[in-house]
Formats: sequence, structure tokens, C-alpha cells
Amino acid sequence: MTATETAAGATAGTSATARPPLPVKMVIAGGFGVGKTTAVGAISEIEPLTTEAAITEVAAGVDDLTHTPQKSTTTVAMDFGCITIDPTLKLYLFGTPGQERFGFMWDDLVEGAVGALVIVDTRRLDDCFAAVDYFEHKGIPFAVAVNAFDGRVEHTLDEVRWALDVSEGVPVVVFDARETGSVRDALLVVLELALARTEG
Amino acid sequence: MADDIPPPEPSGPEPVGQASAVRPFLLTAGRVADTTGDRAMPVETQVVATAEGLDGLDRLAFERRDIVAVCRLPQSLAEIAARLRLHLNVVRVLAEDLRDEGRLTVHVPDSGVVHDASVLRRVIEGLRAIPDARGVLSDSD
Repeated sequence: MTATETAAGATAGTSATARPPLPVKMVIAGGFGVGKTTAVGAISEIEPLTTEAAITEVAAGVDDLTHTPQKSTTTVAMDFGCITIDPTLKLYLFGTPGQERFGFMWDDLVEGAVGALVIVDTRRLDDCFAAVDYFEHKGIPFAVAVNAFDGRVEHTLDEVRWALDVSEGVPVVVFDARETGSVRDALLVVLELALARTEG
Repeated sequence: MADDIPPPEPSGPEPVGQASAVRPFLLTAGRVADTTGDRAMPVETQVVATAEGLDGLDRLAFERRDIVAVCRLPQSLAEIAARLRLHLNVVRVLAEDLRDEGRLTVHVPDSGVVHDASVLRRVIEGLRAIPDARGVLSDSD
């Protein structure tokens, strides 16, 4: 038996060689002012941070003859937070903007996300169409979370589901973006969906 | 090809917030991160300073120094960009340079994690452990 397993490998490390946690990413999408940053802040262990990300913007008007959408790159503010699950696992929540009239291509940001929560304000339902379309098209597990501003929702969940025309497999829930437990439960709906897909 | 489609603008609209006095990609000598393929480093990619990088901090300047210093503890690319107020793609480029110089280690997450049930279960268990702000357990059926 050779003493090759010395302490060198195990203890040579300082904080500088700390093994980073495995990052797991979820996306929080929805229209402007719908409560994305509020939701991230309600559950993140850090104050939400903001960075700028480049996204590809696709004009809604698609040329019928060429089917070539007009694309341009734009820079958007992106708020995010994180939750340390344990020293080896860290959940990141990225809030991404998506306004009406534009489809956003978030591939740069969404690549590798385990799932997405699309936050909806029932007074401005069409703000979230782009996000719903995007995640359905990409096949990313997502749920629609109706933000109950002041504890009230102006439409029933069936009405929301009908208006958004989401498929049966997409959960539609009501939540309060200000409440930690409420945001947690909405994220769990998405994660359970993602888990079910790995087992299905 | 329809005539009425203007060519794409070389640069996008004005960035959000206050622009730096230094144009972002001056810092990278005009280089941009490769976002043409699907292998642009994800925003959650973890970056850690090496002992060599920390020892050599004095020989670095400005953003490169800041990036190595902030990565004493593991940071995601997004956190580095936010904390140092740098454009995300600038951080991508500089982090790759610093990795190549041995000053940082860059841990690009395995995209297979999305389909890893054991990882998802751990995240679910971890989230469930988060209490309601009011201290009331969630009431699920």
C-alpha cells in the first residue's frame, strides 16, 4: 500500500480553491411591473442584484412572405437572487423582462434553466403572452402564477387559463409575490413539474 | 427578400441605467463573448479565484483585479457583473482570459442537471425547508 493519498490534495486548498456549489437556475418572467423583482426579493437570501444582459428582440410583425422576423440585440436590466440549498447546491432566480408587442429570445439566459415561473397581472394579461409562448416553444417546464395584488384576483383561474390558451399540463396558480411562503410554493409547483418530466 | 426590412442596427438601443464613461468593450479590446453557438457560458457559471490569482492581485489592474478579488468566494458570472457593475458579456470575456492565465477557475455547469432527478429533489427539499415569513407551515394537501 503506497501512501499516495497524502494530505496535499485535501488540505492544500484555501478558500481560493473552494469547490463552488452546483448552480441550479430558474427563470422568473413576466411583463413590466408585474412583481418579478418582488418575488425574487421575497425568497432570495441576498438583496436582489441587477445586471445587464443582452437579449435578442424579435419584432412582433413577421413578414408573411419570408417568415423572417426582424431581430435586434438590446440590453435589458435583469434582477436576480439566490438561495443556498446546501454548500454544494445553490438555486439562482433570474427575473427577466418581457413586454407586450415583442417576443424576446432569452436563449442566452434561459439555457440550462430547470424551469420558469411566468408571473401574470390579470389586469394586463397580454403582457405575458410572449413569455408563455417562449417557454411552451422551448419545452421548458413552467407554471403561470397570477399575482394577487392586494389579495384580489380579477379573474378566475379558468378565465386566465382560457385567455392565455395554455395547455392542460401547465399549472396556473395564484400567489402573492410579497410573501416568502407563497413564492416558495409557486417555485415548488415548477420544480415538481420539472421532476415529473425527468421521471416521465 | 422583402425590401422594407431595414438591415439590423449595428448596436442595440441605449442600455438601461447609467452608462459607464468607458464603453464596455473597450475593456475587452473589442472582443465579445462567443454567443453564436449554444455554448456561451451560462450566467450562473461559477468562478473562483486560484491561490495564484490572489497572490498576483498586485500585478493586475482595474476590472481584472476586481474580478479576481471578488472571486475569493465562488461567484456566478451574473453576481460578478452585478457587484462590479460590469456588462455581463464583458465579464464573460475577462473571466475566460483570467482562467487561461491560471488566475481563476471557471466551472461551467453541466446542462444535464436539468434532467437530474436527484438534483431536483434536493432543490425541492431545500425549498420546502424555507419557512413562511409568518412562521406558518405551508398547508398543502
